[in-house]
Amino acid sequence: MKLNDAVLGTIFVLIALVVLFQARTFPTLPNQPYGPGTFPAIVACIMLLCGGGLILNGVRSRDPVLVLSGWIRTPGAAGRMTAMVAFVVLYILFSKQIGFPLLVPVLLTALLWVMQVRLSMAVPIALLTTGAIWMLFSKLLMVPLPLGLLTEVIY
Amino acid sequence: MDGTLLAGFAQVLQPGVFLIILGASAYGLLIGSIPGLTATMGTALLVPLTFFLDPIPAIGAIVAATTTAIFAGDIPGALLRIPGTPASAAYTDEAYKMRQNGQVELALGVNLMCSTIGGLVGVAILIIAAPQIARFSLGFSSYEYFFLAILGLSCAILVSNGPRIKGVLSLCAGLMLSTIGIDVVMGIRRFTFGDSELIGGISIIPVLIGMFAITEILRKAAAPSDLPPTPPLRLRAAVSGVMGTLWKYKGGVARSSLMGSAIGALPGAGADIASWVAFALAKKFSREPEKFGTGHPEGIVSASSANNAALSGAYVPSLVFGIPGDTITAILIGVLLMKGITPGPMVFVMDTGLVNAIFAVFILANLLMLPLGLVAITASRHLLSVRQKILFPIILLFCVIGAFAANNTLFDVWVLLVLGLVAFVLEENDFPLAPMILALILGPLIEENFMKSVIKADGNLLEFFSRPIAGTLGFITFAIWGLMLVLSLRRHFMTSRRGNTAT
Repeated sequence: MKLNDAVLGTIFVLIALVVLFQARTFPTLPNQPYGPGTFPAIVACIMLLCGGGLILNGVRSRDPVLVLSGWIRTPGAAGRMTAMVAFVVLYILFSKQIGFPLLVPVLLTALLWVMQVRLSMAVPIALLTTGAIWMLFSKLLMVPLPLGLLTEVIY
Repeated sequence: MDGTLLAGFAQVLQPGVFLIILGASAYGLLIGSIPGLTATMGTALLVPLTFFLDPIPAIGAIVAATTTAIFAGDIPGALLRIPGTPASAAYTDEAYKMRQNGQVELALGVNLMCSTIGGLVGVAILIIAAPQIARFSLGFSSYEYFFLAILGLSCAILVSNGPRIKGVLSLCAGLMLSTIGIDVVMGIRRFTFGDSELIGGISIIPVLIGMFAITEILRKAAAPSDLPPTPPLRLRAAVSGVMGTLWKYKGGVARSSLMGSAIGALPGAGADIASWVAFALAKKFSREPEKFGTGHPEGIVSASSANNAALSGAYVPSLVFGIPGDTITAILIGVLLMKGITPGPMVFVMDTGLVNAIFAVFILANLLMLPLGLVAITASRHLLSVRQKILFPIILLFCVIGAFAANNTLFDVWVLLVLGLVAFVLEENDFPLAPMILALILGPLIEENFMKSVIKADGNLLEFFSRPIAGTLGFITFAIWGLMLVLSLRRHFMTSRRGNTAT
């Protein structure tokens, strides 16, 4: 997934401009021109220069805007990568309501299934992993993993 | 070996700590021998667990896991011609040729022995050099620290592969991330965009896991590949003949171990660069360079000593100045900071117990690697038969829970995902990630010392060069910048001239 240098250069330049703009609003030390904005502003200036250089490179190279790397053309590659991202997003959105012990086996089974693991293997693996992680983090390390729907059942 | 080092051993050999080191060593062997799981990623995955440990077992776990991981990277290299970690890539072809010559056990036995020797030489240098440098640097003021940190970052750009301009941008991105949250000078909120979660700054654990684990998971998800089966290996063949080979190339072992530690100590240059350089030097100094590429152990001996030596060498600047020597020590410094320990020369004065325990951990981890490594060689068939399609979803779950666990907030899981995706895109476009992580760790240090210096100097920038050491460091920094500028201009000039003659 190789983008033309100009695209990434533009993103860096935009970030640098936002930072420069924000840094101007910060107060300075009494009687000195320096303050909390000094350091970010210096970094933003370097970023602006290099981002500009990158844009020049990209425009001069006349590379296409986006070149797909070889691996992304492997059958199902995009789907599997999306599934990985979806796994994280779904966990963030639903772990609190549904709870770790109910949500994770379902999500993990689904993810393994997307990775072409047979269901007869995916389900036990998902259950075992969930149990192991629960023991490690919730029981041993005392991390409050959310119980969700099970809260009322247990308490 | 004085009494204080013995005291260090006494701390490390407590049953609880020892078990953690043993477990981490085994974990490192697993991580290293599975292609796609690098030593840095293994360290990042350990961080959420170390969060809950005392400083000494936490450091012990990281040191032990990375030591064995760098060795274990040689196993799939020799067997399948796929390096387990980037540090083994330099001699993968050579080792695979040895397999084709029926000498795979000898190759792995030599790898193991050299890794141990290189590691121990690196530790010896760490033990001798670090306290001396620390004593020397006790008088450093904010000027010196500012320049040291800048020097470290410049060095990271100099040695990073890929275009320098992208290295600098990656560095700026890391510095930028480090400025989010309450500032060090006046305590105002910066770049929080009204989000209360951002006031405390971006927490380091999800960033680390995102950058080093999520990127790898995404790549593997795109093209999962199960490894072909490998033959069973015999233990006897991996032990006999090793000593003879080592003795034959003892000069190479010594040279590469010393050079490896020196390269490791350079910020940004780690085990992988050390092993490439050592391999090239071995070929240059060899009496029989024509044998290289035919399954000749000489280069393997040198390079596999160098990569483990680099691992220990990286701890010299990390412990003495708090400036990481590679990505692994960058993570380690992050862990130490979370535990309220600021690495620096004062640690050598105030906390000698901790320093000696770290030394002891290194020696122990390298010694443990011998028996465990032999087990890993004989069990390599099973290690390599782990199904990647199953492994990577499980690692992903572990990443998510690990990112959540440090602060018990789902916001950190967002950070994990976003940084992971950003790092993935950057890496796909040849941006090196090492400068970014170094900058993220060093950012607060640089800003604090810069602001202190500027305020002390009352805005007079020449004050930065008024002290002899600071002036020297500043001069070296500018020299490196000049060198980089000349190098990139020359490359630019050469390519444009070549372009002209072609048309």
